[in-house]
Amino acid sequence: MPERLSATHTNSNGIVTLTIPGSAAASAEELLEALRRQIHALAGKDDVKGVLLTGPESGFCRCLPVGGSSTSAAASLSNLGQQIMFSLEKIGKPCIAVIESECSGIGLEIALTCDFIVAGQAAHFGLPGIASGLLPFCGGSQRLARLVGKSKAKELIYSGDLIDAEEAYRIGLINRLYPNSEALAHAEQLLTHICTRSPNAIRIGGEIVNAGYDIDLQTACMMERDAFALCFASFDQREGMQAFLDKRPPQFKGE
Amino acid sequence: MPFKKLRIEITNRVGYILLDAGSRFNKLSITTIRELKRALTQIEEDAAVNVIVLSGYPGESFAAGADIGQMVHFAPGDAFHFAELGQSLFEQIESSAKPVIGALNGITMGGGCDLAMACDIRIATEGLRIGHTGAKLGIITGFCGTHKLPRIVGKNYAREIFMTSEIYGAAEALHMGLVDRVYCETEFWPEVCSFAERIASHPLSALSAAKRLINAAEDTDLRTGCLLEREMATHINIHL
Repeated sequence: MPERLSATHTNSNGIVTLTIPGSAAASAEELLEALRRQIHALAGKDDVKGVLLTGPESGFCRCLPVGGSSTSAAASLSNLGQQIMFSLEKIGKPCIAVIESECSGIGLEIALTCDFIVAGQAAHFGLPGIASGLLPFCGGSQRLARLVGKSKAKELIYSGDLIDAEEAYRIGLINRLYPNSEALAHAEQLLTHICTRSPNAIRIGGEIVNAGYDIDLQTACMMERDAFALCFASFDQREGMQAFLDKRPPQFKGE
Repeated sequence: MPFKKLRIEITNRVGYILLDAGSRFNKLSITTIRELKRALTQIEEDAAVNVIVLSGYPGESFAAGADIGQMVHFAPGDAFHFAELGQSLFEQIESSAKPVIGALNGITMGGGCDLAMACDIRIATEGLRIGHTGAKLGIITGFCGTHKLPRIVGKNYAREIFMTSEIYGAAEALHMGLVDRVYCETEFWPEVCSFAERIASHPLSALSAAKRLINAAEDTDLRTGCLLEREMATHINIHL
């Protein structure tokens, strides 16, 4: 089986770019398995500071054939997809999706799992699977509704229509919109900048944001209080605050 | 006991709590947080006030976060108590029977951003500079921000704001939904006052019930929320 996902170190700051193929991938299973291997490899590497997920110019990733026709095959594919998205969410490093062209179907589900999405003007987004009777199956329906609200999520899923980058920016699906073909360079710059911050604070912050989103505010704030207190046992806290007081840039270790 | 870090003014049923910590930027030190709690209690008990405005006007900052000089020596236990103190202030703002408007007159960073998010409505000047710089200091916020920010601007913007530790301007804050209204410098304070006075002219019982209902909507399933609405509306509207 050919490796459908290529990872390349793009800069000396430890930023890795994962290129997800467009319609070149044979099936959703194949793509998901390849993604799983990459997530596993990247999560364990200390020298990897951040991840950019992007696609070739032909498209970030379109709807892919879903193999198997039985109920159990569909259920296990969905289970696999959802588990892989959870592990992407817990990769412990900042992860930005960069979209320059079409990002649809499973591609949008993957992008929705990243910390946030940046895009170029030519990008467009949607879940066209409905025309063949397909629903999102990697957690995309839930992440989309939480991000853009229930009505917009239903509009996108029911219609199967693709929306352009301006519309995606307006409804809050993407955080930043750049001129055509400039998104990747801007995203790399942004991620490099993010990687100068405390990896410890970013990892704990990401976990606390995710963990607290679906529970009541009071319980969530208790969790935050404890995680906040824990930061004061870290090198990064002492270094970050001392550097602030000394008016110099901090040298974080992520511990 | 007089206040050192803020002053209170009451005009036309609006109670203004104006942070003025004496230095260039208002820091949310332990003393300031305690004074804010005391000032809130005092205004909450004042029957002449229907609406509370929290601001750093006419200073340069709304609130510029915690006092790093104070925090740098915190042990985890100190941090735990500091978070508890801050969270108790924000809970007091949210559970107050009176609407609280955050009038963001300038720099609104870190804990100051959390303080703004505890308010019911946020009005900003064009000169707003808002952000969360914890990741630059090696910490996360302990003042409910990791949960308030995603609920206000969505998870993705929240993660971006935390991860970059950058300062955002008024237009960006408005696009993200972090602030509700933006006015230019000259219009800002008159607009804040007239908006607050207009709200304050409405019956407090209805304002309180509305505040409680909307707060409940966040953490309650729709059916329970509707049940609560029916009970509250029945209780309030009976006087019509």
